[in-house]
Amino acid sequence: MTGLYTLLQINQLNNTAENYFPIGVQIIFAIGFVATMIGLSALVGPKRKTSDKLENFSSGIASHGNARQPMAVKYFLIAILFVLFDVEVIFFYPYAVNFKFLGWAGFWEIVLFVVLFLIGFIYIIKKGALQWED
Amino acid sequence: MNVIQVLFWILSAMALVSALMVLLSKNPVHSVLWLVAVFFAISGHYILLNAQFIAIVNLIVYAGAIMVLFLFVIMLMNLNKDTEPQKNIWMKLAGAISAGCLLMILVSLIKQAPELQAKTAMMNEGGIGLIANLGKALFNTYVVPFEISSILFLSAMVGAVVIGKKD
Amino acid sequence: MNAIIFSVIGGVVMMFTGIITQQKKAIRNVAIIALIILLLANIFDTYGILSIHIGTHGMLNFQKFGLYFNTLAYAATLLFILISGADVTQIGEGKHAAEFFALIFFSLSGIAIITSYNSLLLLFLGIEIMSIPLYILTGGDKRNLKSNEASLKYFLMGSFSTGILLMGIALMYGAHGGFEISAMKPSAVSNEYGILDPLGLVLVFIAIAFKVSAAPFHFWTPDVYDGSPSVFTSFMATIIKAAGFIAFIRLFDNKYVELGLSWRIILPLVIIATLLVGNITAIFQQSVKRMMAYSSIAQAGFMLFAVFAENDMAKEGILIYTVAYSVATIGIFAVLEKMEDISLAGYNGLAKKHPLLAATNTIFLLSLTGIPLTAGFFAKYYMLLSVIKYGGSTVTWLVIVAVIFAAISAYYYFRVIQAMYFKTGNPEVRSYNKGFCFMLVILAAITILIGIFPTIILNWFYF
Repeated sequence: MTGLYTLLQINQLNNTAENYFPIGVQIIFAIGFVATMIGLSALVGPKRKTSDKLENFSSGIASHGNARQPMAVKYFLIAILFVLFDVEVIFFYPYAVNFKFLGWAGFWEIVLFVVLFLIGFIYIIKKGALQWED
Repeated sequence: MNVIQVLFWILSAMALVSALMVLLSKNPVHSVLWLVAVFFAISGHYILLNAQFIAIVNLIVYAGAIMVLFLFVIMLMNLNKDTEPQKNIWMKLAGAISAGCLLMILVSLIKQAPELQAKTAMMNEGGIGLIANLGKALFNTYVVPFEISSILFLSAMVGAVVIGKKD
Repeated sequence: MNAIIFSVIGGVVMMFTGIITQQKKAIRNVAIIALIILLLANIFDTYGILSIHIGTHGMLNFQKFGLYFNTLAYAATLLFILISGADVTQIGEGKHAAEFFALIFFSLSGIAIITSYNSLLLLFLGIEIMSIPLYILTGGDKRNLKSNEASLKYFLMGSFSTGILLMGIALMYGAHGGFEISAMKPSAVSNEYGILDPLGLVLVFIAIAFKVSAAPFHFWTPDVYDGSPSVFTSFMATIIKAAGFIAFIRLFDNKYVELGLSWRIILPLVIIATLLVGNITAIFQQSVKRMMAYSSIAQAGFMLFAVFAENDMAKEGILIYTVAYSVATIGIFAVLEKMEDISLAGYNGLAKKHPLLAATNTIFLLSLTGIPLTAGFFAKYYMLLSVIKYGGSTVTWLVIVAVIFAAISAYYYFRVIQAMYFKTGNPEVRSYNKGFCFMLVILAAITILIGIFPTIILNWFYF
């Protein structure tokens, strides 16, 4: 536990862009690994491109219809509300970091912000926008 | 040419190529995926500029949430090939010429700008992009715009319900 | 600050009114009461009574001009809701009546921000808060394909122009290291302004010109105004558009020096293009609603003179213009909303069957043309006078061009009057009540009153 604590402190003292180097390495490694695996399997694996092989598998039943059906709007409503609250949460992060520094003034500022969001949330609930209707 | 400059050029090339691919790919879903690549490249730029908070927010909100929303919108539409409208070649040409003019003006002006000469990324300079400093600025100097932005969210919520709710 | 706070409260109240009750009359009455409170709060704020002060770190700068414009805009909105409120509650099968009013209130808070901003950040927020409710109001009639199309077009074009605005703001921030326009005085940077600042300023100019539909950024206007429900077109074309000009004036009051001579070339070009496109295209329209869309572009050309002149006369002029144009347009759209057939032929013979509608409509049309004894005359007069005051004989040509276009505009406005009075037909009119007639007469009375005593508005301004 103390080890972790010192690690955190080091990070705070020395908050530079170089700290993101491991993340960059990880991203490159992840992409590289996946690309290599897919590439290898495509390269090494056997290929028999017959018409039966390329057909979509659907439990032996011939597939019919089109996969690209328009989706219902209700998914979109949930998604857009999610984005709104997602953005709200993002604003909490800089507040949380400065929690002590900002003191009560900051607290009331964030309370006002949350209250406005809460009003929106109550409105959404009351309107039944989150109800999964058909 | 140090490491930062190399990174800057790589990221810039990535951003530009991905942005071009957004426009050039025929499949809208591919466009969205290329747009995610653009956001990753730009996040890289933000990190080079020491704007770490924006870099992360860009990934979480834009590359994460808003791109999902884009995909939803695309899936709301009819994606069959035969419904794709044919675009007029003259319209394309006119658009290319006018946008090209704008690009030319912007590039030539920025090339002349004394403020921008020989500047790329400045790693580890200026601490305003760090989360702690950004929070201090946001909740002191910029607190009024911050609170006002919640009006924007409220009207967006009302709008989402008005437009999206089945009635 | 009162205006911003109370309009948000009004919006929230409307949101919850829609949950509590579905009665359209109640919803409308709550909206009217909230709007009156908002209006009073803003008037009190103008004179420093009961005004709420919040330290904004110089981002909002409440001046009398902006506050007084708020008062005028809110009064115009009140007239709009009094005359068309019942129609607002009918849109989209009347399921979202309260939400529409809530969105109008949020839009009004955006107006309060862009009439008092001092920081480009708040210019951006204000324009967004003003426009996003409009995108939704445009698509308010959900079952109507034209309304959907208009909404989507408006949203896509609007967000694109917002992108340009942000780009411009970013460049200006880069040049000055701050958002505050009052701190961007040219003296601070000596003679060299750098290139980023003018470039950013031009981009911001493009974005705001889009919002007020000045040519060549007007292409969205006809389709959006035509497709959206008539009542919301009336709101968009009047109050919102006038607020856009206040944003213009506030920005370029401080900043136009930096564009130097080119500013004096760009702006007249934009003005003439706007007048040309608006007036000439309006002549060929068969639908009165579409004609009004083009006419609103033409009127925007006149209002741009206030940005060109940049003196106190121009500020007085824009206030009179706002009232004259808003009142007349709200009236015309209120009549239009009652017509079954909104093409020109639909107005044939209106004077015989509904003399009051025809008479008031004539007054509004005369006001838009700028005939003496109507408000529109003094609106145009102040605009042109301010230009002459600014430039003297060097800008006479601009004034002459404007007068010629005003004369051209008479043609298409008079066509409606001709259809109403001198053609025979059987116009189908939706039922309207006594209150509607009363409000029409009030609007016409305001038009004529300001046409005779234009200083009424200014007296209050200097009071």
